Amino acid sequence: MMLRESSEAFGYEVDLRAVTDPAIDSGIPHGSLLVAFSNAVLSRGRAEPLRSELVEAVGEEGLVATAGVIANFSMMNRIADATGMPVGKRFLAETEDVRELLGLERFIHES
Amino acid sequence: MAAPGTWWSGTQRVAIAQAARGGTAEVIPTAASEAARTIYSEITTTSRRWVEEILAGGLTMPAFVEVIGVVSRLAAVDEFTRALGRPLEPLPDSLPGAPSRVEPPPSRQGRSWVPMVGGMSITRALSLVPAESRAQEEIHGPLYMSYSQMADQGFERELTRPQMELVAGRVSAINECFY
Repeated sequence: MMLRESSEAFGYEVDLRAVTDPAIDSGIPHGSLLVAFSNAVLSRGRAEPLRSELVEAVGEEGLVATAGVIANFSMMNRIADATGMPVGKRFLAETEDVRELLGLERFIHES
Repeated sequence: MAAPGTWWSGTQRVAIAQAARGGTAEVIPTAASEAARTIYSEITTTSRRWVEEILAGGLTMPAFVEVIGVVSRLAAVDEFTRALGRPLEPLPDSLPGAPSRVEPPPSRQGRSWVPMVGGMSITRALSLVPAESRAQEEIHGPLYMSYSQMADQGFERELTRPQMELVAGRVSAINECFY
């Protein structure tokens, strides 16, 4: 939702499927690199040379900002899934198309 | 983390972090160790039944919420460190003192697995233990953006908002987080 809305604000034609399929180009500048780096960090894989490529693309401060987003959502995902945070009905209605496109229903935890 | 919290002492909070990283922690109940390990390393496996089992193991609901707070922030710090290619920070020495045991404000349990104060939203997820809720908000701003900045879809720092949201979405997909 935030990805779609912010992309509209920046005039990008985003392909949301890049979120669940790293082989798809998101249409966002340096998007493939950002996705590949996130994958490498969270899978405990080799983050080099992706880290160096990212620094070249967005600078050292951009790398730190990327690390910050990875860190923040590592925290927020854990809070949401340890507390059983439900998604509001209005939000569910507004995101039906995206959830179907990305197959997000498979992420619903057993209640 | 090292200071006494609301329901756990500083020694116990550091032990919770130690258990989260896979170490042994004898100063906390087994249920707290199990909760910490799951939240840190197996967050895709949680369920309402899992929460019920943790509570049946002897944890009170507020004590469980504090475990969520401590471990989720530890995960944030550890992933930040890994992303920068640095070794994990050693856990701090605990500070002395007793937990405050401040009683939780009136709360309501809706469809979530834990009660919340003032309504259900991700920013209130830890509100049963206000100190944990504040700590969550304090780290959220520097790592990502403040709650008030989130309404600005044109927000930009070292990355543009869409770049940030792409990373956020990918991380959430890897963690299989529906929310």
